[in-house]
Amino acid sequence: MLFIAPALAVLLSLSIYPLIYSVSISLQQATASGAWTLDNFTRLATDDFFLTAMAHTFVYAIAALTCEFLLGLGLALLLNKQIRGRGLFRASLLVPMMLPTVVVGVVWRLMLNPNFGAVNGTLKQLGLNTENLTWTASPRLAMLSVIAVDVWQWTPFVFLVLLAGLQAIPQEPYEAALIDGSSRWQTFLHVTLPLLKPSILIVLLLRTMDLLRVFDQIFILTEGGPGFATETISLYIYRTAFRFFDFGYAAAMSFVLLALTNVISAAYIRLLQGETQKGT
Amino acid sequence: MISRVFRYVALVAALVFALAPVYWMLTISLKTEVDQFASPPPWLVFSPTLEHYYDAFISRAFGQYLVTSAIVAVASTLCALVIGTLAAYALARFQLPWNLNRKLSLWILSTRMFPAIVTAVPLFLMMRDLRLLNTRTALIVIYTAFNLPFVVWMMHGFFADLPRDLEEAALVDGDSRLGALVRVVLPLVSPGLAATAVFCLIVSWNEFLFALVLTQTDAAMTLPVGIAGRVTQYEIKWGVMSAAASVAMVPILVFALALQKYLVRGLSLGAVKG
Repeated sequence: MLFIAPALAVLLSLSIYPLIYSVSISLQQATASGAWTLDNFTRLATDDFFLTAMAHTFVYAIAALTCEFLLGLGLALLLNKQIRGRGLFRASLLVPMMLPTVVVGVVWRLMLNPNFGAVNGTLKQLGLNTENLTWTASPRLAMLSVIAVDVWQWTPFVFLVLLAGLQAIPQEPYEAALIDGSSRWQTFLHVTLPLLKPSILIVLLLRTMDLLRVFDQIFILTEGGPGFATETISLYIYRTAFRFFDFGYAAAMSFVLLALTNVISAAYIRLLQGETQKGT
Repeated sequence: MISRVFRYVALVAALVFALAPVYWMLTISLKTEVDQFASPPPWLVFSPTLEHYYDAFISRAFGQYLVTSAIVAVASTLCALVIGTLAAYALARFQLPWNLNRKLSLWILSTRMFPAIVTAVPLFLMMRDLRLLNTRTALIVIYTAFNLPFVVWMMHGFFADLPRDLEEAALVDGDSRLGALVRVVLPLVSPGLAATAVFCLIVSWNEFLFALVLTQTDAAMTLPVGIAGRVTQYEIKWGVMSAAASVAMVPILVFALALQKYLVRGLSLGAVKG
């Protein structure tokens, strides 16, 4: 028990205590007098900025998750074979996901710069008109741009986890399917997918949590702009707390985010537990 | 045959897609300003220069940010390893009452799922009251807490994989628990320990939100915050930014390649033993 004590002390003082402290901030700091009130929470329902930021967060999470999953699964299926250069390929795909997000931000600000960026430079060489393609500076394209950057960075992660999952599947069910005369599509649907389901759930869970709380990339690429076009919930909380110094309201919003991630991760974990019980 | 060709085409396309943007940034850091703005952009042929690196790390404060980042990453990793390994060992070896083992480890893991912004607000106020804003201490303490659940979770897995006989022999020989852990058990899990350490280094090195909130002075800022502060200004020195970002990237790439074997296991919190 003595061995656990330091760890518990650190987590209590730096994870649990801040949460409790945050509850009191959210309930007290709505008024100058510091009286207890629910004002910060009732304000949420009528704050259009908050609701818009929530909507942006969901659009961002759903779009990025879908693309990352489909691309990652496709790549994993393609690479689940003995081919030359697989080690090199794996190592190179690690690069985007390991980069500090701030570096990802710099990389893509350079790539997407309308004047000298490589994306528009390449498109121009292909004879396309790039005048209106201002990417992160355009209200219409900014959201698409930040989603694309997330897909660029995190598809490799989905790919790696699913590839590890594919390689853990034994050969026998495939041989049985072959004898039954199943088509490749049927084999995929009835053998591969069910056996891969635990890995799929884990990778979706981890990505969903990261996507819902996304902050760094968007902060560096667009700072939530232009205007409010790419403001997600974490950015709005940051702005409320550290630009407008309304800590109480920021704390209240952060509990909505926390509740949301808890509900979603609980749902995933329940699915996952059902899956592992079936397996044993 | 066609499917094999298709496979290789898809692979090469994915490779180019993953690496070209990073390569592009590297070239910008090595190009003179004339070449940076040239149209069409030169991908391969330009005369390289190191002036932006000199500008960033000697003339500007990026050298200082680099030192801060290194100190904070190493110190917080060491703290998290010591505290976390002890806790993981206890969880793996002692049966606590009321099924506390499982509850504790789940609870420890769940702190990892917190969105960072949720604790950023109270931690900022706490550090302000403790007069620790703009200090390395604040970042070291917070990153230790941030990495701790991960260390406990990973090391718990490595300890659980290990047979008990060896340390029990050491205990019979009169070693204390701590002595058995340090002399017998740790050497056996040293690859796992090293992998866990490298993960913590990467996380601390890359961390952005807390560093942004807690440090605003040149003396306390980490490299990511220093870079971000310049990127969002109006007139951006792209060569300097790229040079700083390229340097920030180097240790991460070295670590990640050294870590390949454990990477999937670590990133999926031990859920996938790839």
